[in-house]
Amino acid sequence: MGTELQDAPISKPPRIDGRRLRSERTKQLIIEAFLSLLRDSPQMPTAVQIAERAGYSVRSIFERFPDLNALRVAATDYSLAQALALAPPRGVDGDRETRVRSQVNTRAHTCERGVSLWRVLLQFADQDPTGQLRQRVARARETTVGRIELMYRAELSTLPEDERFQLLIALEALTDMESWARMREQHGLSFDEACEVWIHAIDRLLPPTPAVPAAES
Amino acid sequence: MDDPMASTAVAPNAESAPRKAPRVDGRRLRSERTRRLIVEAYMALVRENAQMPTAAQIAERAGYSVRSIFERFPDLTALRVAVTDYAIAEARAHASLRDLDAPRATRIRSQVEQRARTCERWQPLWRVLSMDASQSPDLDQRITVIRQLIVMRMEMMFKPELSAVASSDRRKVVLALEAITAFESWARMRELYALSVDAASAVWVRAIDRLLPATPS
Repeated sequence: MGTELQDAPISKPPRIDGRRLRSERTKQLIIEAFLSLLRDSPQMPTAVQIAERAGYSVRSIFERFPDLNALRVAATDYSLAQALALAPPRGVDGDRETRVRSQVNTRAHTCERGVSLWRVLLQFADQDPTGQLRQRVARARETTVGRIELMYRAELSTLPEDERFQLLIALEALTDMESWARMREQHGLSFDEACEVWIHAIDRLLPPTPAVPAAES
Repeated sequence: MDDPMASTAVAPNAESAPRKAPRVDGRRLRSERTRRLIVEAYMALVRENAQMPTAAQIAERAGYSVRSIFERFPDLTALRVAVTDYAIAEARAHASLRDLDAPRATRIRSQVEQRARTCERWQPLWRVLSMDASQSPDLDQRITVIRQLIVMRMEMMFKPELSAVASSDRRKVVLALEAITAFESWARMRELYALSVDAASAVWVRAIDRLLPATPS
């Protein structure tokens, strides 16, 4: 074995393409500038505003993104990846209260960060000839529902199929981005107060948690 | 005597005085009619295309020139505001409160039926009107009024149940009810999940029943 290792050719470190790295970094900075502008003002920013915020020229933007729709798609992919990374499922095996609190906290942070982008997505999804934005909207919704199913598997499993489906739809509506935005923007609730509304409602909507079978001694 | 209200006062010799028919300002009437036709054209286009129409499209549908539109509305946002006012008035006219004193199940069904009808009729318009509403204080104020009307109605329909809990819990329940029966919730059930009106209504009926506190005996 030792000989084999010694005889093996020394592997070369992968070549780093500096130009490509720089280009990727520029793309990322443009996306971040776009998202930062959206957080400041919930309106689709112009190319000039994005360029100014990113510290590049408008031409630089369109060298990397053929049009603003492509930039919206890229920003959505970036945000979805970020949301998944920042919000891994926690407390999946916890008791009911722990799971409700965990899911609400995760969803609330996602809504807090993502509502402006979500609104832009919905606004432009129907006008996107490539269908890519609609696809992302659908994926984001599937992820949200998938998380609800995962976190409340115990309670959902006690329901017949049609009731389970109805409850999932109700939970999705309750924890919708606009529901969060309404509580925060229109009703002026703090982050914690808005979380409490969801926690209270989810607890009422969910059926009783089935008893855990006693461990065999 | 120039006070217009004075003309309605009964003069001592009113019986002998010949009654004048109220003067009709034909030009003003025509102008009002044109405004109304422009508003109706806007609403019809939104229902067909689920998108904000252009001035040219509105003019064509209404049978007027683009100039006629901008003679009556300074810009398209002002027209959106007028459309919203018209929609609020029409929705209020068709949303009489029924079954206020009925048992819980009847009140829930009545509320869901009425809300479903409203969503079915106004959802496309709501989507277009609420888009970017924050950019126009007038529009934003109308959106707030619509939401307040929806909440007030729910508070009246479910008064017995809501009055049975502490005010902090009452607020949580109302906010959750608002989220679950939002326009966006209805649109998702009808468009994304392709539920029939009855199936979508059943989701709401079940969710409201779970969310509401017990009815006091």
